[in-house]
Amino acid sequence: MTTTTARTVRVSGSGRAPARRRRVHGRDLVGAALSLPALLLFAFFAIYPGLRVFYLSLFDYSLTAPPEFVGLDNFRFLAEDPRFRQAVLNSVFYTVGTYLPALALALALAVALRRKTRGLGWVRLLYFLPVATSWVAISVVWRLVLHPDGLLNETFHLDVNWLTSSSTARWALVIMGIWKETGFFLILFLAGLARMPEEVHEAALVDGANPWQRFWRVTFPLLKPITAICSVIAVIRGFQAFSPQVVLTGGAFDTEVVNLFVYKTAFESARMGRASAVAVLMFALLIAVTLVQLRVFRRTDT
Amino acid sequence: MKRLLVWALATAGGLAFAAVLAYAVLSALKPGGEVLAVPLRWWPSRFEWHNFALPFEQTPFARYYANSVFVGVTVTLLNLVTCTLAGYSFSKFSYPGRNVAFVVVLATLMVPLEVIYVPLYALIYDLGWVNSFAGLIIPAGTSAFGIFLMRQAIDSVPDELLEAARLDGAGVLRTLLTIVGPLVRGPMAALALFIFLMNWDSHLWPLLVASDDDHRTLPVGLAAMQANNLGASGIPMMMAAAVLALVPTVALFLSLQKRFVEGVAMSAGLR
Amino acid sequence: MAFVLAAAVAGTGALAACGGDDEGGDGNVTLTFWTHTHPPMIELNKTLIAEYQSKNPNVKIEYQQVPNTEFATKMLTSLSTGAGPDIINMDDNALRGEYFPKRLLSPVDPAGFGKSSVAEVEAEYVPGTLDGAKDAEGKLYGVPSEFNGTAFAINTKHFKDAGLDPATPPKTWQEVIDYGKKLNAAGHKQAFNFLYLHSGWYNQWFQTLANQTGGSILSADGKTAALNSPGSKKALELWVELARTSGIADPKTSSRDATAPYQDLASGTQSMAIVYPWSMDQIKESNPETYKDLAVVPLPQADATAQPVSRVYGYFWAVNAASKRKAEAWKFIAYLASARDRWLTDVSFVQPVKGWDTSAAAKQIPFIDVIAQAYANGRYDQVGPHWNEVQDTIHKAVDQAVFDGKPVDQVLNEANEAVQRSIGS
Repeated sequence: MTTTTARTVRVSGSGRAPARRRRVHGRDLVGAALSLPALLLFAFFAIYPGLRVFYLSLFDYSLTAPPEFVGLDNFRFLAEDPRFRQAVLNSVFYTVGTYLPALALALALAVALRRKTRGLGWVRLLYFLPVATSWVAISVVWRLVLHPDGLLNETFHLDVNWLTSSSTARWALVIMGIWKETGFFLILFLAGLARMPEEVHEAALVDGANPWQRFWRVTFPLLKPITAICSVIAVIRGFQAFSPQVVLTGGAFDTEVVNLFVYKTAFESARMGRASAVAVLMFALLIAVTLVQLRVFRRTDT
Repeated sequence: MKRLLVWALATAGGLAFAAVLAYAVLSALKPGGEVLAVPLRWWPSRFEWHNFALPFEQTPFARYYANSVFVGVTVTLLNLVTCTLAGYSFSKFSYPGRNVAFVVVLATLMVPLEVIYVPLYALIYDLGWVNSFAGLIIPAGTSAFGIFLMRQAIDSVPDELLEAARLDGAGVLRTLLTIVGPLVRGPMAALALFIFLMNWDSHLWPLLVASDDDHRTLPVGLAAMQANNLGASGIPMMMAAAVLALVPTVALFLSLQKRFVEGVAMSAGLR
Repeated sequence: MAFVLAAAVAGTGALAACGGDDEGGDGNVTLTFWTHTHPPMIELNKTLIAEYQSKNPNVKIEYQQVPNTEFATKMLTSLSTGAGPDIINMDDNALRGEYFPKRLLSPVDPAGFGKSSVAEVEAEYVPGTLDGAKDAEGKLYGVPSEFNGTAFAINTKHFKDAGLDPATPPKTWQEVIDYGKKLNAAGHKQAFNFLYLHSGWYNQWFQTLANQTGGSILSADGKTAALNSPGSKKALELWVELARTSGIADPKTSSRDATAPYQDLASGTQSMAIVYPWSMDQIKESNPETYKDLAVVPLPQADATAQPVSRVYGYFWAVNAASKRKAEAWKFIAYLASARDRWLTDVSFVQPVKGWDTSAAAKQIPFIDVIAQAYANGRYDQVGPHWNEVQDTIHKAVDQAVFDGKPVDQVLNEANEAVQRSIGS
């Protein structure tokens, strides 16, 4: 993360209290106590369940009956389960299909719309609006948009049954996802571009580089850190998908993503142990993917 | 010239994006049979303002709305308190374990909350908080994102000011209230906006924890209403309900756009 | 700051305590009662509740209706977590497939009915009709709120438009297709459609067809999946023919409103449908004009030469095992059950007590003879453990075969594996 710019601007003497070992003052104890409310909530409602997930994944647990130890059976079941495999594939499809185009589009729009002119402000607003909508409410709207006689088909003179076919339902969700998420990353890329020193940009202009070269040689490399963050966020958001799938298809037609699978397994089939096992696997997968992404971006950092 | 072309394209795209929202509002105002009439006509033949009363007449929509507002405001206030206190603590004080605690908090940002929902639900159940506001509010009372944000924000408060206050005899809390607080009002507003938005949108957790009509929040209620009104006759009511549900966050966004954009940028650690 | 925090925590603590306290110290009893959402039934329930409360002033009944699409999940989750109501009203598939294996319910208490033994309670009902609420050992857990045989409805006006004689309705599914084509030619594009609502509905149709084609979801001993048996294949092939290949209607345009499931039939859009007694009553109340044009006839068969085979299912009132007021709950259930005639006349809910089909109330129902006959040919579904998952599997298989056009063999093989995994784990 590039904090150098910030540091040069900051008033000297501000920042964080040093962590060097020294006598702990009474004042520091009071200060420590201030973090207790947050930390206690954290400990109870985040850390404890976080650890418990691993524990529960080794049991067959339906909440009213006492948990039954089954060792790695849940994991064995999931390894062979076509439904789980399909859920992971559905999540991957949704994540890649939505966020790759969304990021690319957001980047392109950010470069195009970075000027501070008034008119462009309005255009940017149009892209931001979907971000301010709530997932469930906007899914209800998109249900209508994706209706065989709805906005999408009518505008492009198509006759596709978006939500009642395995070949198109997942694309329908991707289309809605791109619409909703592009603005979010546009904000991030704009913030990143705004922090780029203007001198570098000017220098490239003077050098006579054309816009394309300017982008690739100058802008994009400087955007690496933000792109890294964006892609990590994108993957996490992609796997968090739940509301659109529930409202648009209920998980039918190959749109049952992992979150929905967990919900159904835990709460409709009352198999909480197995659902915990899924959670453990998802946790591992996401950590791995995040680390890979950060490594990839770091290695290509000049 | 090329720039104008690019801007024109971007504007066209933007209008296409906004078209969906326009479609929603106009559909909500159309008489039932017109919404899916082929070919598509944008403008309603007459404005059925009464459609906006339908959700309130036919479902406990008012209850869902009130619950979402109540839970949203309470969670936002709780977060403001806990995250500001924690951010202040991590930023301006030094004590053993501080850095470890902060790293642990940060680490949870990597992991989507859904991963812990099953044991979290079991915990809420054991506490007897199922179908209660406590189950909706207390687990959401703080957030790693908020703590991170507030620490960043308080980092930039000059130490000299705090030193001066200490010499003046001001206690820890007094310093927070009179010196630090006013200086981080901006980030606090952004945090409040962001927390409210995230909570307004929260679907899976409330679905698990509070699905009886008395405690249902808007996303859960709306999804249930949709599931019960998949036919053409339910469309005016559903569109009206969806538009009504969209209003608070879109309105908040429009009026506090700068703060909102700040909040999103901050959520990625950018400022 | 600290004050605010303390107040917030105290406040939320108080909220937690407001979690529904139900027993006043003076003998007052509050019972919670949940049902699914069927408007005519809800009306009569409310009336009966008001009557019961006035007859028993120390009893208060909190009645909640759950939307149909989340009904199965909500009931299972609530009962599993001990947060369910005292009195439930659930279908036999859920009772036998989910609640009994998980021990969520409490057996019938004859005292509530004013009887001294369960056998006395059972003696009032037609033999076999209570099987839907009996566990593997034959213990009874509920009494029926509705007992449904499967019949068929035709729109006589549409028939006349197509030159068909309503007095000779289709007797086989092949005839349904033939008639359907004629109806299409006369401008009635939705000749016959299944209802594609939640998984329970998919199962109803599949079981109905499978009963006729000799198919089943499970083997006779219930231990293995049997979806790829010839009979099961024939059932799904029949469905695909009716819904997709024959072209007599478009399944994608079938209405999916779970609260008014028979909307298409009721609005005069659809010409033929598989119906139950309560369906006709609901149509009578919502669309009286179309109702006049409808006739109820026996369910078409897959095989004209064989004995007619149908299907029955029932909803039962039962008591939560976690309820703290079981005795009072059963008393209230007994009261609900005692209003037999009104259930029949007001909602067309059949309580299968001996002699119900010849009672005065029954005689007021049009087509009562067809309906009574339907029961004679029908049987309850065979159910296994983790039945929710199995129903979801059937749902997916039908979606793939009917909407995606995937080959029936492949679809059923995959579904069979999935069912095997569900019941075996």
